[in-house]
Amino acid sequence: MERVLITGIAGGQGRLVAKRLARDYAISGIDAARWEGHSREVTFHQADLRSKRVEDVFRKDRPTAVVHLGLVRHQFDEKLRHDVNVVGTKRILEYCAAYGVKKLVILSSSYVYGALPENPYYMDEDTALNVSRHYPEIRDLAEVDTLATAFLWRYPEIRTTILRPVSTLGYYVHSSIGAYLKLRYVPTVFGFNPMMQFIHEEDVAEAIAVTLETGARGVFNLIGPGAVPLKVAIRETGGTAVPVLETIARDLLSRLFRYGLYPFPADAIDFAKYPCTIDGRRFRAETGFEPLYTLEETLRSVRR
Amino acid sequence: MRNGDADGAGATAPASTPKRRRRATAADAGTAPPVAVPLAPVVVPLSPVAAPIAPLAAPPRDGDVRTRPPLDEPRDGSLELHEVEPPSSLLNLAIDTIESALSGTFEGFAPDVLRELEEEVAEKIAQAPMELNFYGYDPWGFNTAVARRALIVTALMYRYYFRAVTYGVENMAQGRVLVISNHAGQIAIDATMIGAAMLLEGKPPRIVRGMGEYWLPTLPLVNVLMARTGSVVGTPKNAVDLLEHGEAVIAFPEGVRGMNKSFSERYKLKEFGLGFMRLALQTQTPIVPVAVVGSEEQAPSFGDFKPLARLLGMPAFPLVITPFPFPVRYHIHFGEPMEFRGNPNDEDQVIEEKVEQVKAKIRSMIEAGLRRRRSIFF
Repeated sequence: MERVLITGIAGGQGRLVAKRLARDYAISGIDAARWEGHSREVTFHQADLRSKRVEDVFRKDRPTAVVHLGLVRHQFDEKLRHDVNVVGTKRILEYCAAYGVKKLVILSSSYVYGALPENPYYMDEDTALNVSRHYPEIRDLAEVDTLATAFLWRYPEIRTTILRPVSTLGYYVHSSIGAYLKLRYVPTVFGFNPMMQFIHEEDVAEAIAVTLETGARGVFNLIGPGAVPLKVAIRETGGTAVPVLETIARDLLSRLFRYGLYPFPADAIDFAKYPCTIDGRRFRAETGFEPLYTLEETLRSVRR
Repeated sequence: MRNGDADGAGATAPASTPKRRRRATAADAGTAPPVAVPLAPVVVPLSPVAAPIAPLAAPPRDGDVRTRPPLDEPRDGSLELHEVEPPSSLLNLAIDTIESALSGTFEGFAPDVLRELEEEVAEKIAQAPMELNFYGYDPWGFNTAVARRALIVTALMYRYYFRAVTYGVENMAQGRVLVISNHAGQIAIDATMIGAAMLLEGKPPRIVRGMGEYWLPTLPLVNVLMARTGSVVGTPKNAVDLLEHGEAVIAFPEGVRGMNKSFSERYKLKEFGLGFMRLALQTQTPIVPVAVVGSEEQAPSFGDFKPLARLLGMPAFPLVITPFPFPVRYHIHFGEPMEFRGNPNDEDQVIEEKVEQVKAKIRSMIEAGLRRRRSIFF
């Protein structure tokens, strides 16, 4: 039986992927956090991705496939976050090359394209990763993506796949967008209501499984069942949109973020103003993947 | 002199205008469950406070047995409607009231003419080919409910202010089509008038997809209105996606150069950009040339105040002599579709030749149109 190593396995998405893959593969997992009461089928290692212990896992467990989910998304400390994500990913890529891993799936994000006013509605995979132009706090995401893309071309013998999913919603996943939509009163920017795409967490897990099955190689956008305006999403998840003038919102957010009271810096506002919607046709053509959850089901999954 | 389906000023309502709907009142609330009444529009305001955002809808009167598909229904077959919900809190109500006021809802103080027009616009939108999701949005953010309200303003201007006359609308092909027109008049009213012509006179009606300037999405409210009425930012990817989806895309190859030209240059076509031709070649899309006569006199300008334009981040700041456009009469001429074949990545010279054919066609249509009209205002 092939063995899959999942990084970030103790997170919501990690557990779902582990559960989905456990049918067909032996599962190893690494996470910096503890995972109590995990299934006995999973070989779990608690370790920081930057530590040397990770290499031992590769040496002992000998995974033939790696699913890299171990990226930090909510973190006030920008430097730490950058370090964990970029250095951690670098290490994983090195070990994949050194220990004969055959398949590698990296879960990046559609946010790497950035939310810009001149964005076309459906950005394909060749669009520049513009996020750091207006939102330097999450440039580590773009950097991880770039590292992985370089790896993809440097090691043609390893089937590397970079998935860039849209905003992921669901019961288990702690996504920023999920936290935002679950607020009772959801601040929005006055006069703006961008289209947003969503995908259910189970569909992300399914897409990863499909990728391993089909051995698709390359960079792929991963979309869910469609797009709705932000305010429709807020309504469907049971919140009330509260439009705030942009100048006030920026000022308030930058203060709250500085004092560690709110997890989004002011630059995140662009994602509530401009579309960051992507074209998912390439992945569908390559793997035949279709999301199982409809738009309503996806939005209802985070209904408060 | 005039084309068959452009009936003068269009001031007389078409014979097929459906019976006017009764105004929704508080008494209607709760009298009929939304789905139980066959053939009725599916939304009934649930409480008096819902009135500002609810579309004009009420159960049909006795004997009213016209068969007409419900207008607000998402066209995926489900009867559940998610567009309009009663406001759940005072805050919600306030926001909805402001938003509906800004997007031009006429209910409550609308004279009959307006309500008839709203019904006509709604009906035309319902006939236009479109792909809407469960929540009533198309992949580019078009929304029937918002578009209907916004397009009434356009339709009013089309019918009663500019009293537009449309010629040759039957030249609008089915499926993907690139509409190319002259551009003038300081603000892009010509685009909305062509849109209104295609919606109100088109057979079938079509929603035209505008390609906006890059700074439009940065304007509050404007960006939302733009998306909900079917326009997008004018990037090549958007244009290709829309055309491949079978939409009608409108482009003005003169761009700002044409729109903000001064009065002395009226009806002199400015330099055409080449992008539209490359796009047509790449996606093998027929081009429908359009000549708009009238727009070029609507707002005479005697110059461009460049420093202020730069300060405001606008492409130009025309010095106009009138705060509102003059009530000139619009004459919109649709030409026969032109097909081009070739390599979209050819050098500029080759593309220019093809562009010149389109430009010449539009120029001759403008000249014919100018000869034909009796005065600027009639």
